[in-house]
Amino acid sequence: MSFDPATVAAFVDGELDDLTARRIEREATNDPALAAEIARHHALKTQLTAHYAPVAEEPVPERLRALLTADTAIDTSLAARREAKSARFAPIHWGAIAASLALGLALGLRPWTPAASIAEADGMIIAAGPLAEALDTQLASNQPSDAAVRIGLSFEDKAGRYCRSFESASLDGIGCHDNGRWHLERTMRGQAGADYRQASSGELAAAAAAMMASDPLGAPAERQARDKGWPRR
Amino acid sequence: MRFEEELVELLPRLRRFARGLARDAADADDLCQAAIERALKSRSQWQQGTRLDSWMYRITRNLWIDERRAAGRRGVHAPIDEAATQIAGDGAAEVEAGTLRGDVDGAMARLPDEQREVVMLVLVEGYAYREAADILEVPIGTVTSRLARGRETLMHLLGEAA
Repeated sequence: MSFDPATVAAFVDGELDDLTARRIEREATNDPALAAEIARHHALKTQLTAHYAPVAEEPVPERLRALLTADTAIDTSLAARREAKSARFAPIHWGAIAASLALGLALGLRPWTPAASIAEADGMIIAAGPLAEALDTQLASNQPSDAAVRIGLSFEDKAGRYCRSFESASLDGIGCHDNGRWHLERTMRGQAGADYRQASSGELAAAAAAMMASDPLGAPAERQARDKGWPRR
Repeated sequence: MRFEEELVELLPRLRRFARGLARDAADADDLCQAAIERALKSRSQWQQGTRLDSWMYRITRNLWIDERRAAGRRGVHAPIDEAATQIAGDGAAEVEAGTLRGDVDGAMARLPDEQREVVMLVLVEGYAYREAADILEVPIGTVTSRLARGRETLMHLLGEAA
């Protein structure tokens, strides 16, 4: 074998110039030792790659993604907010509402089942039952880990209304407080518990970023707004 | 594309690299988290037009080294390290070939840190020698010699044809 081990390794790593690489290839066809050495290096590379590949296939944990997507929602340029507006909401929107309405209606016929989470008033979709209660009272900074509805961000929109993003088993979305009701401005099928949850959280955060007039409320401001009953400015 | 979005796209690969360095899955994600936080804090130091991935890998790797040093001072992991160093590299020849056949984690654990990171960057992440040298801030010759030693140890421990 007329090539030193470093050159063989460099060949396998694709680090050789074309001329030398071609010489190795040619020689390997007549030199079993060289061919075996190349195969050995290839085998190691393949084994390592295969071993670590599944890590890159795993869903990225929410706590990592949130570091980046939450920031996106909180302080972003105008351009970014505009970009977020085109997020994938529109197609899901009406389908999710229809599904939830149908569910709500069905549940409404059975008084012993939990109250529906959404209702219709004056042609608008509004929060009802436990969802309305969560939006009214639950603080993002202080909610039980097993809460049926999880509040995400609270913020003021450009019309001066308080809005809050939420996630629950059947419905995720953003509600804005107006005339004593939570108008559901954005809805999407709930993803609670599913692996898709992170995607949905990211989209909600992006949609919230597009709607907010300034930064989201911090814990004290959120508490204050709640205690005052989410008044419109 | 914006900074955060590029980082999000990088996360799967970065987690893979971190897993190779830290080996334990939870430790690896902690490392990723620290790297993301560091990156967000020092984003002004990243120059638009240069490769964000190399920059992120460098941050991750440096944080890992810092942590290993701190752990070493505290005495954590130290016994494992010494054992690893004894078996690794030249000493590996004393261990029977193929002892760890199929056990990539076990074989990687026996590499010294500076060999493991090169193996990850070049053989797993697919960086060119020059790029790996830039990430690690060492001469290219250092990359090739560490890679050669790491490679030999792995091939020895994992057995010949894997």
